[in-house]
Amino acid sequence: MWLELALIAIVFLGIVILGNSRLATTIQLFALQSFILSATPLLVHPGPHAVIMAIATVLLKVILMPSLLFWAIRHVSIRREDQPLVGYGKTLLLGGFLTAVAFLISSRLDLPVREASNLLVPSAFSIIMIGFLLLVSRLKAITQVIGYLVMENGIFLFALLLLEKTPLLVEMGILLDIFVGTLVMGIIINHINQEFGSANTANLTSLRD
Amino acid sequence: MELFLLLSLPLLMAALVFAMPQDGLRKPVLLSTASIHLSATAALWQGPRDVHFNAFLGFDALSHLVLNIISILFFAVAVYLTGHLKEKRKRSNRILTGCLLCLLSAMTLVTMSRHMGLLWIAIAVTTLLSAPLINYYRTGASIEATWKYLLISSLGIALGLLGTLFLAVSATSLKTIFLEDILANAASLSPSWLKLSAIFLLVGYGTKMGLAPMHAWKPDAYGEAPAPVGALMSGALTGCAFLAVFRVAQICFHAHLQEFISPVFILLGVLSLGIAAVFIIGQKDFSRMLGYSSVEHMGILVLGLGLGGGAIWASLFHMVNNAFAKGLIFLAAGNLYRHFNTRKIEGIRGAIHTVPATGIFLVLGLLVITGFPPFGIFYSELLILKAALATGRYVVIFFYLLFLSVIFFGYARIILDMALGKPDNADVAAPKEDLFMVAPLVILALVLVFTGVFVPGPLYGLINEASALLGGG
Repeated sequence: MWLELALIAIVFLGIVILGNSRLATTIQLFALQSFILSATPLLVHPGPHAVIMAIATVLLKVILMPSLLFWAIRHVSIRREDQPLVGYGKTLLLGGFLTAVAFLISSRLDLPVREASNLLVPSAFSIIMIGFLLLVSRLKAITQVIGYLVMENGIFLFALLLLEKTPLLVEMGILLDIFVGTLVMGIIINHINQEFGSANTANLTSLRD
Repeated sequence: MELFLLLSLPLLMAALVFAMPQDGLRKPVLLSTASIHLSATAALWQGPRDVHFNAFLGFDALSHLVLNIISILFFAVAVYLTGHLKEKRKRSNRILTGCLLCLLSAMTLVTMSRHMGLLWIAIAVTTLLSAPLINYYRTGASIEATWKYLLISSLGIALGLLGTLFLAVSATSLKTIFLEDILANAASLSPSWLKLSAIFLLVGYGTKMGLAPMHAWKPDAYGEAPAPVGALMSGALTGCAFLAVFRVAQICFHAHLQEFISPVFILLGVLSLGIAAVFIIGQKDFSRMLGYSSVEHMGILVLGLGLGGGAIWASLFHMVNNAFAKGLIFLAAGNLYRHFNTRKIEGIRGAIHTVPATGIFLVLGLLVITGFPPFGIFYSELLILKAALATGRYVVIFFYLLFLSVIFFGYARIILDMALGKPDNADVAAPKEDLFMVAPLVILALVLVFTGVFVPGPLYGLINEASALLGGG
């Protein structure tokens, strides 16, 4: 029951992120989504393993990564995504469509593992696709990073299926890896700001054949 | 002991380099770490082929092969940087040397991983560590290249992670994804999830390898990265990615999914060759051309995996020769850029007259890469053709030969113009070529002779054993 509620909230937040144009709000929404996400391991398989996962997720995805992203845009004056590659209305429609596709695909998949809730796999797939959509439809570097992180949140949800079987060491490695990835991306966004005066990847079009 | 020297020592040295206040001391640290790594790798030739340190870390023939490529190339690059960094005294080399040392450790970890999750982590770490290296010059163009590289690779790697999770779902009955367990019980994997997993893993690690159509980052990154970094990326990093793809093939072949996965390999291979052919013809920037050339050779590697049988041997042989040849060309190109102050092909004329040592090695490297006899790549390309003939894939043969000849034509123009053409300003006194920047060229050229022309018995045996992992002869 609580798990379903959390999953619905996570997918809902994903769609809200899709329709949002303010960079700061997008980062906060991502932090909120990650916060709800951090509770899911406890709801699926309560135990020491889940507690460690939850704490690590809160530390990295709710506190460190959002602060890092805020640091990366601290000097950016334009804090809105005014001209996305694909308009907001269209991305929202597409997001809804992709969520439906995710549910359709998951209903066809035959899982050899027992699921904690039959909403788990479809919501994981919808979040992955929403993140992907965000990544390809926006021009601001920060929104692209958030798209990547939302995708990773979806993969995290899918990984809950295998929570008991994955060694903790490997899971920690993956989380740390994503964090370092965000760190490197944050630093590069900072370089983009310094070089071009804005974190708009529309500036990055000089290399082509 | 081997574990410490190969994995931990580079990391410790990287910490030392980051803590060091002066630039001057970093080069000796880099060079000595590279030498120790190379000697430790060389010492492994004495021991048994299959070593298991613990459940997560171990060696097999393929690991040995890739580790040797990494270690030799890294050593050559370290020698080269000893000369190269002298030029760039304005900028601190802390990040460059530190990231290079961490990258050495991460690439070693890729070769040693015996757990598919750990393999994913190691590959992802190599991506993150190479991003600051591409961005060394911090110009607008290099920032753009780094951003594209980071974003496309991260996306690919995320799909790879999903593929790894799918693999774990398909291995539900095993409860682990240790390579040994999966290979031993491949028959018990759920085939539909394994197929899904193989596709995602191929897309993920294929992005890292730079296979078309996931290659968009490659010409940009190779074009903007400093030459020694390009040498490492095109030789060692692609080798790591190929190792990951090889592991996927290993799992699929053991699970009797060869008929499902082989056409995918062949399609990706031919597509990469085609894309490379289109963009190499008429390419104006030498480094970008090397990027497309890398796409071409990665295509040949997976084509070999797809054809199976003798082509697998050819594929591994090709990987070794391509790695060292690319290293040689990139380092020679670095000398040329320094001398001519441009990366444009039209700006570089008559290298043999102005910088003779570099010019000769550049021609040698380009001859190897184009597949001239008697060098190794000629044999591997021929062996792949033979395997395709033996299985009667005439459409593949048609495209393979078509694209290879187009690419050959593209290279020929470049070799003739750049190396042998008349220099524009022959009377300008050329600065002498730095010993440290020519010595690695000599090393790599010697290695190329021994990996391609006179192949020593142990190397031959090692490639045999590695290709036997996929049932190739």
